[in-house]
Amino acid sequence: MDLREILSEDIIDLDLKGTTKDEILHELSQHLFDAGYITDIDQFVKDIYVREAAGITGAGNHIAIPHGKSSAVKKITIAVGRSEHYVEWESYDEQPVNLFFLFCVSDDEGFAQNHMRLLAELAGKIGKDSLVEALQGAQTPAEVIEILTA
Amino acid sequence: MKIVGVTACTAGIAHTYIVAQKIQDAAEAAGHECKIETQGTIGADNILTDEEIAAADVVIIAHDIAVDQARFKDKKVVDIPISTAMKNPKSLIATIEKKLGK
Repeated sequence: MDLREILSEDIIDLDLKGTTKDEILHELSQHLFDAGYITDIDQFVKDIYVREAAGITGAGNHIAIPHGKSSAVKKITIAVGRSEHYVEWESYDEQPVNLFFLFCVSDDEGFAQNHMRLLAELAGKIGKDSLVEALQGAQTPAEVIEILTA
Repeated sequence: MKIVGVTACTAGIAHTYIVAQKIQDAAEAAGHECKIETQGTIGADNILTDEEIAAADVVIIAHDIAVDQARFKDKKVVDIPISTAMKNPKSLIATIEKKLGK
């Protein structure tokens, strides 16, 4: 399977408008809803906050990796967002963030193991400093996919 | 040095894999061999063999949930929360180098 199967240009937004964590989560969730990945924005965001309550999802390097398992998820994927402005977010290095990876995971454990594996592979890439630097400079959603699948 | 390790985070979706990559990159940048096993929601990947564990100078276990450490009972184990490796993988490796004198 290919990483391109879980990435899609219509859920990559390099010009997020939100200025708070909650606004960013809703904005990205709206994209997921519009593209048919989730069935219920409120339920999905609620489930993300369940994971947020368990520990920090600011990964340092101005990146946040909110994620939640939710019954509202139809299809496993990852939404990518970037903002021109920094947003306050609980983070390991106590820096605000502007690059967001919203993991969209079904709560059905047995469902789509292959896709979960791709998600894990993508998560590993987010740990690579050089790749994150490239993403900070990406101009188009297509370029983001290019960088993440290189 | 030969470094092996295990990562395991709360949800087993994101941190486990990000931290594994960060430790790997920091170790290799400092000239060490490194292999990290990830224990996530999809199970264990990149599983450490008995030979690899036996040959390792140190075992890094970065975790927020329980990890079975029976395999490492005769090894030097660095037992840390995920956050330590996430925050500063370079200084984690540097600290280990200092402690082991390598």
